[in-house]
Amino acid sequence: MLCEPNIAIRRYNRRFLSSMLIYAAVLLTVVWIFKHWHPTGLAAYPLAILPALPIVVGIAVAGLYLVEEKDEFQRAIFFQSMVWGIGATLVFTTVWGFLELFAGVQHFQTYLAFPLFCAFAGIASYVLKARYR
Amino acid sequence: MRNRLRVLRAERGWSQADLAERLEVSRQSVNAIETGKFDPSLPLAFRLARLFEAPIESIFLEED
Repeated sequence: MLCEPNIAIRRYNRRFLSSMLIYAAVLLTVVWIFKHWHPTGLAAYPLAILPALPIVVGIAVAGLYLVEEKDEFQRAIFFQSMVWGIGATLVFTTVWGFLELFAGVQHFQTYLAFPLFCAFAGIASYVLKARYR
Repeated sequence: MRNRLRVLRAERGWSQADLAERLEVSRQSVNAIETGKFDPSLPLAFRLARLFEAPIESIFLEED
């Protein structure tokens, strides 16, 4: 049957959105805890890692989509978008790293790497889909 | 890869969406294959061959 968007992509969108909403909620909670309770030492470690967990789930959700997607063309587009996203993020962070080292630009917070990757992959997905429209 | 999908589709009066529905893929997939921008895997090529009741080599044409 024809499904546009198909079941796999709808499932991916729902799962990914859920993981990002959980990410936002966990991040806000952790920021609040650090601001008000100032945890230090061993207690700070698990709390600091907590916001990264929904991101890990988000990445796993992308992997799951590649497994569940039966339409090989859609799978190829998604895969290519991921590769472009990873490549662009590596280029950006490498160039920025050298700018930091030699030109004294502001430090790039590495927790921003995932949102940056999502932005690059999103742009790549849009461009790739436009090519095949 | 060049192919005769558009002709085979037209002979049956199918739209890209009709073919996509029969193949259980998206219309974009059919369009990408038909315009030669995306080469299908062997399983999908066999599905096309079965659907059009024609050998694969009569649907997909080797590039010179």
